[in-house]
Amino acid sequence: MEKMKKKIIKIFMYTVMIFTIIVSVFPIIWVIMSAFKTNAQILSSPFSLPTSIKFDAFVYIFEKYNFVQYFINSALICVVSTAASLVIFAMGGYVIAKFRFPGKSLIFALFTITLLVPAQSKAQPLFSLVMKLNLYDNIWGVTLVYLSMGLAMSMFILKSTFMAIPKSLDEAATLDGAGFFTIFWKINFPLAKSGLATAGILMFLNNWNEYFYASLLTSSDKNRTLPLALQFFTESFSYDYTKLFAALTIVVLPGILLYVCAQEQVQASVAASGVKG
Amino acid sequence: MVKKQKVKISKLERRNYKWIYLFLLPSLLIFLIFYLQPIITVFYTSLTKWDGFNTPVFIGLKNYMDMFTNDAFRISLKNILLWSLIAGTLHVGFGVLVAFILYHKPKGWKFTRAVFMVPNVISAAAWAMIYRFIFNDDMGILNNIIRKINPDFHIQWFYESPYAFWAVTFTWLFYAVIVTLIVLNDLMAIPEELTEAAKVDGATGWQITRMIHLPLCRNAIGTGVICSITSRVAMYEQIALTTAGGPGDDTMNLPIILVKAIQDMKYGYANANGVIMFILGLIILAIVNRVFKMNESVY
Repeated sequence: MEKMKKKIIKIFMYTVMIFTIIVSVFPIIWVIMSAFKTNAQILSSPFSLPTSIKFDAFVYIFEKYNFVQYFINSALICVVSTAASLVIFAMGGYVIAKFRFPGKSLIFALFTITLLVPAQSKAQPLFSLVMKLNLYDNIWGVTLVYLSMGLAMSMFILKSTFMAIPKSLDEAATLDGAGFFTIFWKINFPLAKSGLATAGILMFLNNWNEYFYASLLTSSDKNRTLPLALQFFTESFSYDYTKLFAALTIVVLPGILLYVCAQEQVQASVAASGVKG
Repeated sequence: MVKKQKVKISKLERRNYKWIYLFLLPSLLIFLIFYLQPIITVFYTSLTKWDGFNTPVFIGLKNYMDMFTNDAFRISLKNILLWSLIAGTLHVGFGVLVAFILYHKPKGWKFTRAVFMVPNVISAAAWAMIYRFIFNDDMGILNNIIRKINPDFHIQWFYESPYAFWAVTFTWLFYAVIVTLIVLNDLMAIPEELTEAAKVDGATGWQITRMIHLPLCRNAIGTGVICSITSRVAMYEQIALTTAGGPGDDTMNLPIILVKAIQDMKYGYANANGVIMFILGLIILAIVNRVFKMNESVY
């Protein structure tokens, strides 16, 4: 009886796990496989493996569309906005974690309460701001808006990271004659690596996949990001499924490859994002 | 002696003020420009008629009145309510279930955890597009499977009422990896001794799960509920790239209405929508905090 029960639980556990794996990767495998099939094969035998590996559709798409440009746009926007906001929020988180000064708790409360503001609710004022700065349809306008996005989450993470770095290190450095900036940049910043990685990964992931503001703030082809590009080729080759799937593969692949390289850190970062509660 | 030292430290600290505020300045500027100013603008102009060029004209609560008599808005509220319920129960429930299974470290648990994350590293836009193909009547995999049994089967999942609502729901229903990771993180932090002690006292596996593990990761589950419901309020790509709110207004959501209002230069109306989104977020937070007693320590 007891054995039977254990067996049933085991079967249930593996059923849920297999289901999880299927819903997570099967759609992507199907998309990639279909990119190598002909239109007729996609329609007649959706499950079969492609009969030959031909890159025609990919070549066509790279020739016809500025995918390299979209990729460069996405990468530039993400790297610049993530790196800049990481340094900015690290400076803020550092002084909040390690010093006493008037207004400290108010400022920290204001920073972290921004977590409750839905990003889209500010769409009109940010749209007008970017217009006023003459940065509409410009990748730097998007970068500027992305810069602000991780404020609350990064402050939570970075404040606790800097708090964990012993103050005795700062005091020793002061005795050696190191100034305020040196102590931050040479001692605390390198020691905060794990927190910086967590905050950086979360912000990068968000920025890399962001769609709402990218679509609101750009209009021309040369300023498009990867997630944004998708919308436009469904319109242009609506019944040429092979090319559609090839295009989708190209958009999805860089993110997956990045993830495969850093999967442990990405999972740890997402898990840590819940600690704020 | 002690007192003197205290004064000395604070003097030192005061000498740092210049640096401290300099370090805070960039973050403060981001807060002022990208949060405070927009929020004030949104609240104030939601009471005006404004096209972005001329000065806003104060019209009181008219935007809100218009909104509540508008079908698209009312359906949006109904949708958000239903989606929030589904997110808070089925979606989070699935995430928690997976977390509890992975906690027992069955064979392949690390692989499952890694793979479950994949849909979340892909943009929601691409994921919406993939589902548009899956649910496509012509080449979509779902209808092709069904047609193996019933050759005459044809449904445009995203374009026919009442299927569209459920098709949109399906695009996010099982992708609860964030809940899983947060809960798993808390589960793994539970001291081994607690579980051992319960076993010694003769508790069964199910009792341990229900009476010890589940209550101890209450905060993580609460956080998961907040995250998943607030992302339902803000859900945009999954709708904009599949149904665009249709058929009719079946799958309308506030961000879709908001973007349309901006494009129509009805800025006051757009911002009234923004205010409602903001308030909905606060209500959700308050309710979830209450239900999960999140401010109390678990140990």
